[in-house]
Amino acid sequence: MKPFTFLAPRGLDEAVAMLGEHGPDARVIAGGQSLLLAMKERLARPSALVSVAGVAGLRDWTYSESGQLDIGAATTYAELAEAALRGWHAEIAAVAGNLADRPVRTMGTLGGALCQADPRFDMPALAVGVGAEVDTVSADGVRTRSADELFRPEGGTVLGPGEILTRVRYPAADAYRAVAFEKFRYRQFDAALVSVVCAVRPDGSLRLAVGAVRPRPVLVSATDPAGIADEVLPAAEATTRLRAYQRELIAVLARRAIDRVNDDARS
Amino acid sequence: MTDILPREARHGVRRDKLVGTSVPRKEDLALLTGTARYIDDIKLPGMLYAKILRSTTAHARLLGVDTSAALGMPGVHAALCGADLLGKVKPWGDLMQDLLVGDHFPFAVDKILYEGQEVAAVVADTKYEALDALEEIRVSTEDLPVLVDPEAAIRPDAPLIQEGINYEFGEGNIFDRYRVRVGDIEAAEAGADVVVRQRFTSNRQAGAALDPHGCVASYDSFTGVLTLYSSTQSIFMVRDVLADTLQIPRNRVRVIIPEVGAGFGSKAQMFAHEVIASVLSMQLGRPVHLVLSRAEIFRAGTARNGQVRHAELMLTRDGVITGYRDYVVHNCGAMSLWGNQVVHIGTNVGILPYPIPNIHVDADIVHTNTAPGGPLRGFGIPQTLWAKEQLVDMAAEQLGLDPLVVRARNVVNPETFPYRTPMGQVIDSTSVYDCLHKAAEAIEWERLRADRPAHEGVGLAVSMKYTSCRHPSFDTDLSAVRLRLETDGTVTIFSSDVSHGQSHATFLAQIVGDILGVGFDKVNLAQPDSVTSPFGLGTFASRAAAVLGTACRQAAERLREKVVTIAAHVLEANPEDLEASNDRIHIKGLPDTGLYLENLAAYAAYRTHQLPPGFEPTLEAVATYDTPTEREAPDGTGNLSVTYSTAAHAAHVRVDPDTGRVTVVDYAMAHDTGVVINPLVVEGQHQGGFLMGIGMALGEDYVYDDEGHLLTASFKDYQAPYATELPELTKLYEIPAPSVTIPGGHKGAGESGTGPVPAAIGNAVYHATGVRFTELPITPDRMLLALREKERRGMGSFRYPDDMPEFSGPRTAEEWPEPTGADEGDLLL
Repeated sequence: MKPFTFLAPRGLDEAVAMLGEHGPDARVIAGGQSLLLAMKERLARPSALVSVAGVAGLRDWTYSESGQLDIGAATTYAELAEAALRGWHAEIAAVAGNLADRPVRTMGTLGGALCQADPRFDMPALAVGVGAEVDTVSADGVRTRSADELFRPEGGTVLGPGEILTRVRYPAADAYRAVAFEKFRYRQFDAALVSVVCAVRPDGSLRLAVGAVRPRPVLVSATDPAGIADEVLPAAEATTRLRAYQRELIAVLARRAIDRVNDDARS
Repeated sequence: MTDILPREARHGVRRDKLVGTSVPRKEDLALLTGTARYIDDIKLPGMLYAKILRSTTAHARLLGVDTSAALGMPGVHAALCGADLLGKVKPWGDLMQDLLVGDHFPFAVDKILYEGQEVAAVVADTKYEALDALEEIRVSTEDLPVLVDPEAAIRPDAPLIQEGINYEFGEGNIFDRYRVRVGDIEAAEAGADVVVRQRFTSNRQAGAALDPHGCVASYDSFTGVLTLYSSTQSIFMVRDVLADTLQIPRNRVRVIIPEVGAGFGSKAQMFAHEVIASVLSMQLGRPVHLVLSRAEIFRAGTARNGQVRHAELMLTRDGVITGYRDYVVHNCGAMSLWGNQVVHIGTNVGILPYPIPNIHVDADIVHTNTAPGGPLRGFGIPQTLWAKEQLVDMAAEQLGLDPLVVRARNVVNPETFPYRTPMGQVIDSTSVYDCLHKAAEAIEWERLRADRPAHEGVGLAVSMKYTSCRHPSFDTDLSAVRLRLETDGTVTIFSSDVSHGQSHATFLAQIVGDILGVGFDKVNLAQPDSVTSPFGLGTFASRAAAVLGTACRQAAERLREKVVTIAAHVLEANPEDLEASNDRIHIKGLPDTGLYLENLAAYAAYRTHQLPPGFEPTLEAVATYDTPTEREAPDGTGNLSVTYSTAAHAAHVRVDPDTGRVTVVDYAMAHDTGVVINPLVVEGQHQGGFLMGIGMALGEDYVYDDEGHLLTASFKDYQAPYATELPELTKLYEIPAPSVTIPGGHKGAGESGTGPVPAAIGNAVYHATGVRFTELPITPDRMLLALREKERRGMGSFRYPDDMPEFSGPRTAEEWPEPTGADEGDLLL
């Protein structure tokens, strides 16, 4: 780790100002479960860390009038896992409670996962899969994007250096009859090797996304397991053992996710 | 298994024996409360911090190392590279008999041989300043072709890794050969009803001790003594090699260990960082701290040797094993102190528990541009078992026999002991036959073989393992203990054998307590220190209970004889009428009479006129026990271990047909550990050994890319199992067959839990799926792709990876390579 300045603003305006003041080498830190590891290995060398952990209003969840689930970006996985969420939103809590290990869940945050944009992480895939929206704030003001717009095709996010992710909004409980998130990981605490999100719209049509295979989560148009695998990872590209295995897993997990949402939607 | 200390013992009242009871470990309080002091916790006044710059390429000419900019960085005191030490420190690797050549040096000098090799070092006021300065060192290299695959390394056109070293067999990547010639293998083959042949490969595995490799060197320029605190398994091996490397007298090097958080064989040698810290401390006259990071340990620590085995098993139609032939390509990485020994002992002992009359083994021991190979829990035995125990199942299938029956028919089960096997092992006792059946019964072998649930299967593997070792590399197998009865009646144990998980403080106190009659709580084990401890080899080869335990027993008996002599004189009693218990020497059967050990010690220390005439006033006793083992003969035979422990394992697995994940549903292990000193400690060894066996079977591996970069150099990527991946291991059984060679009847426990695991799982996976794995580890991706390919081709049984379309190795024995060596003209045969 290299020396850095640690800044703990109490409000978003202050945080934005600090980022501006310290320039492009300043980084936002929430739970630090990715950034601190990178800093420890000297892979990330920020000059300043602006902590949003103590910023008021970023660590809560509410239902908006339109029924959207509105979650503060600095909400930890552990807090999400404990949240009494209704309908398909319960799947968000279930995903938050079944990733990484307990220390990471205690510190790691929803917004941190989205900004880290590691394709193997669960929250980016889930956000894209259900069509969440994200709010950011910067010196230019507040901006809303779809989760799909947040991630670059080659990996990473489109956020600028002075931009802070503040809230994540999930569609209302009645937007989907059911949502299923399925993943495979080698070990209990590993990141996913493949993840699949399947949501059933009220008309019975499916919305599907696949994570951990491409540099960003991808929405797919196919709705059959074999077709999904072909779309995300065609056989011609599955030339290594890992890729061939991922291709098999996409179909297996898509089948599991589709079966589960259909069961849930019926019951 | 949390028996508390028996009430009588707690109250200091006599009870019969401490040996055999689960006395809670003396070590646990410090370990569990975090007060134990490991190498990284050591802080000495004026201490500086060193860090090592390591190569990022695996094979290259080293054209130059420029440390000048680093020297100008804040806080930096000195920097070192290979050129600075050339001609000043001696290469090592050849100090001990038959260790090959002095190919180890603190830094690469003109050539880089593997990723992670030491290139330079910096010492600074803080570790962060040292890391900053490392970034300023300029290294100039010219890349060379990289050899990762051991089979490629023996091709005649392969690039040469170690240059300028004239090995016994000439220049090349083969730096040693090994062979076994027992009986007549051609006759065995001609007479066999069934011969099964298969090429097996095995993975490389890390020790992954949570306590990192590291040291603090502190040179005292006034006394000229270099003190090295190190996380090591052997203080005298480190002392002797370090003194030789630095060319200073051995009485000027003092090696002390703090708490060592495990080694598993990965800390059984001196490493470059120990030399680097020592040189820097001697140059600067200040203590130097040098502790390695996890990535450094993965890349430059020693890892289990990977092997390619071309193995054949010959049997009669009744299932009697008549022959074993093997050609092994043994991967030792770029340099290796112990690696060549691993194939010797791993093969000799790995042949057990079958007294096979005809054995023919050749091994080419090769260099690759990968991490140094070396000892790791099992010392080559798990690799041998992986091949041989699967061949047994393959043969049973061909013969239409139950694998349990074939094993039962072949395990060593003599009418009388000691029994010498054709390989030369002297079996002084064993319960292997009973262990085998116990494990099978516990897993419900009969039922599950006859009617297994879909995707489930059961498998067996059995081994007998050394419990000490007379290495081909040095003709010794000794441990020593010195005991001192202190003047308050407590006892101090001095031993140089490092306890790095073996509970020496506990089990030695149990032995001393029983013999000397001193209370368990009054016995203390001193920290191993080469200045005060008697000479011993160190802790490896599961030798603590049998070898160190025997030395301790003998020292305690000698000390008892001394105190009994004093007591007999003072009490005017016949020594034969006295015994030791209850912290006293007393008249037999009257434990409340006699003299306290405290009084007897005081006579020897402060009231010497009370002593018998001519009695030398000392209350110390030392004993060194060297086992009656043999050197390895030129034909590979010999009794290398003083006695042999048994491990019979039975696995029940389930394979997920959708994901390929192998889940161990149930597991049983039956062991012969002889007379168990502390059942709690032995169970701990078996549980931990099982964990490492599962890691080798299902996940752990050193994965390199074609350029020799290690892709699994962190715990994030290195697939060591979590507790969540393990079944709860409750079916552990001991069937003791006490050693008759070892006075206490003890046998080693440390490695029994590991060796049979991969083969037992492999056999169970085959039973469950029809897929015979010939490669380790059995990862979900390999398993699933094998299942899909097997299904696609409609095959009943399938080998992975041999039957995969992309497999490029030999699929049948006709395509196997020949060993590079020849017997012709060999004077030793």
